Amino acid sequence: MRIRAALVLALVAPVALGADRAPSLADYRYFRALSIDLLGRPPTTAELAAFEQSDFDLDAWIDTHLSGDAYAERLERIYMDALRLEVGNSFAFVPNAVVLRRETIQGPGGAPLYIYYRRGQRRLDPKIDGDFCLTQAETGLAFHPNGPPTGSATPVSQEALELRTVVVKPWWLYADYRASEPDDFAGADWPKRFPGFVPAPALLVEPDGKTRTTSIRVCREEAQTADTGTVYASGRTPVKKGDPLPPGRTTPPPNDSGLARLAKGRAISCLSGTGFQNSIECGCGVGLERCMPGAGPQNDPPAFVMSAKTPLGANLPFDANPQPQSAWERGWWSEEARHFLDKIFVDDRDFRDVLTARGTEVNGPLAQFYRFIASATCCGPGADAGYTRPDPLLDPATVPDALVPEDTATWLPIADRGPHASGILTMPIFLTKYGSRRARAHVLYNAFLCKDFVAENVKLAPSDDPDLTKRPGCSTCHQTLEPMAAYFTRVAESDWTWLPATLFPMTQPKCQGPKSSGLCKQIYDPAFDKLRGAYAAPAHADEGPAGLAHELVTAPEFAPCVVEQVAQSLLGRSLAPEDDAWKTSLVKVFVDGGYRMKALVRAIVRSPRYRDANDVKP
Amino acid sequence: MRVAILLLATACTAQTLAPSAPQPLPAAQTAMIDTTPKARRRMVPPEVYLRAYLTWFGGLVPLDVQNRAKPKGLFDAWDDYLAALGLPDYKIDLPRQSQSNTLMLATLGRLGEALCVRAAEHDLHAKTPLDQRVVFAFDPAGDFAAGFDVLHRTFLGYPARLAPPDRLARFQALFASIAARHAGAKQPLTADETAWAAVCTALVQHPEAELY
Repeated sequence: MRIRAALVLALVAPVALGADRAPSLADYRYFRALSIDLLGRPPTTAELAAFEQSDFDLDAWIDTHLSGDAYAERLERIYMDALRLEVGNSFAFVPNAVVLRRETIQGPGGAPLYIYYRRGQRRLDPKIDGDFCLTQAETGLAFHPNGPPTGSATPVSQEALELRTVVVKPWWLYADYRASEPDDFAGADWPKRFPGFVPAPALLVEPDGKTRTTSIRVCREEAQTADTGTVYASGRTPVKKGDPLPPGRTTPPPNDSGLARLAKGRAISCLSGTGFQNSIECGCGVGLERCMPGAGPQNDPPAFVMSAKTPLGANLPFDANPQPQSAWERGWWSEEARHFLDKIFVDDRDFRDVLTARGTEVNGPLAQFYRFIASATCCGPGADAGYTRPDPLLDPATVPDALVPEDTATWLPIADRGPHASGILTMPIFLTKYGSRRARAHVLYNAFLCKDFVAENVKLAPSDDPDLTKRPGCSTCHQTLEPMAAYFTRVAESDWTWLPATLFPMTQPKCQGPKSSGLCKQIYDPAFDKLRGAYAAPAHADEGPAGLAHELVTAPEFAPCVVEQVAQSLLGRSLAPEDDAWKTSLVKVFVDGGYRMKALVRAIVRSPRYRDANDVKP
Repeated sequence: MRVAILLLATACTAQTLAPSAPQPLPAAQTAMIDTTPKARRRMVPPEVYLRAYLTWFGGLVPLDVQNRAKPKGLFDAWDDYLAALGLPDYKIDLPRQSQSNTLMLATLGRLGEALCVRAAEHDLHAKTPLDQRVVFAFDPAGDFAAGFDVLHRTFLGYPARLAPPDRLARFQALFASIAARHAGAKQPLTADETAWAAVCTALVQHPEAELY
């Protein structure tokens, strides 16, 4: 008991500056280091003057600054360095169901006119099904995917224009786009109300380059607002590769999918990608809220002015220029993870929440993403198993209604994202940054258990065993990796689509015979006749990412790993064997403190090891 | 004969010395030995460095810094510098740099010089009231040591009196040489203003400003 008390005293004993003397050079350096780590900047001259006062209480100062944005950012940096939760252009998030591109035609009076449309939009008229809604005969132009039109533009007739298109007040121009008469127009007060929300200049002016855009013209099908459509089957003979294109088309019309052939007329959600591909009744919703704008016909046209790099956070932007909607979405996915980490540190919550919490916080762009955009990637080959209404990782019904898409500054909590949610493990940024199941497991093994996979030194024997837990040369790592990766079996790779057990049993009877469908190749693994990724630990598949989170936070390496990550970052060096006893004492502080960072950081920065972290003299 | 007997008697006598318990040496002086591992001073994280610049030069936002320094060719664009400053790029898994390099030092130097010159223009040349100055919050015509102490505290975090003894003299010599080289100049800065900008630049670029 005495020893324990002495240990605790040693850990919390303040580093005295000496009340009866002026601060020494070492004192000033200690204070500067504390400022750098807890305030995120060196001390100001005013702070130094306060520090020099005889009644300055350094312990109280430390406690005061173990909170706030700079402290949170300091800790966030440790885990962002470990997890690197940003994705660039290498992850192309350009679902046709989401991106509104635009073509420039000649209006009835001969003046240029923008028309917005979705590539792949299903339309009743076979001449324009899956394509731009005005034909070459109507505009004089042939429209090509990802490129400018060809031909000589002729004025479109008023009749064709009214028949094919409608005028809409879209969400990016009106914050109250859901009102019957929207009037909260993008005006002078928007930069203050919605900092960082800046549509690309090309979205804000008409083709003359002068007139302010107050509404847009969009193809009629895209302007539809129904939540549910019906499965459409054209009945056309499927187009084969090499078949001549139908007259007036630059692309072949879409073929009827397997779902369309089997379930014609059945109700289907317009929020899913499958609904977009299989119904002529599914549009972009009220104010086009299910779609993102693009100022051009290219694959991923410019949409918002934003910084490509935000090392000091989204509220301190650096160079900003027009970026496509994919960059907008990727940027906010990353901000969600940063915000989530910051909240854990600022509120001094149990750090295990980083892996296990079912809650999160979202702002306007994320609210829009989770309500309307996320489901656009569902359901691919899963439709063959009847999966057309996504079972989401974040239930859209939990998203606060108060958030409009422009509202970048307001972050509101979601207490419970849903039964599949688990900390950062089910956030889009994590699932796209680490696209494969093994990559997801590997980075968590590194970052939260401080362990790595090192191959054994063996002579490699030729093997075609698909079971990597048995294959020589692979087995030492994969015996651990594969069961961990199996927890992500039901989360599609490079995506966030959840594969529910009700529709995707571990073994799919449909795939027992000749395996030709996408379902049997992409979702099921022919080598094992099981869901892909599950072979090494089928039970883990149904536990999902939450099962892995539980395994990680209950592992004996978890708390020592957190201590190691934080201590190494604050000391600026790796921990050495001489630090073992100190590390053990810090683990005790961390665990006894309920896995909260504040107690751990306090113990580190008040230790002589931190104060005298280097031996360089002036 | 007697001698032989005496020698024989001595050789045959079993005289055994019993071992005694070791006695601790008396303490003369106690010294504490710090056995914890030491490392060289760590680099100030680039995020902190950026925030420090923004703080030192008047609470600017990054785009303001760029807009102030760019027109006179003192600075280009942040995106040209961020990787050189050692920031990680998570998008391409580029880790943060934990050691300095020549490109980084050149970048920091250029940034510091640009902002010191602009601060001298704002604070000194424009004769901004003392309480509204961003860096040179002292009387530039007064005692050099007093002004230097303000800058030393600002950039290095401690008073100049605790610095190595020759530091004040070396910076005073720098001030004098720069002022002499620009004697007679009035625009954009006077000789003394240019000399204060040089002192500011030298402190911003000092290794102690970049390490902790």
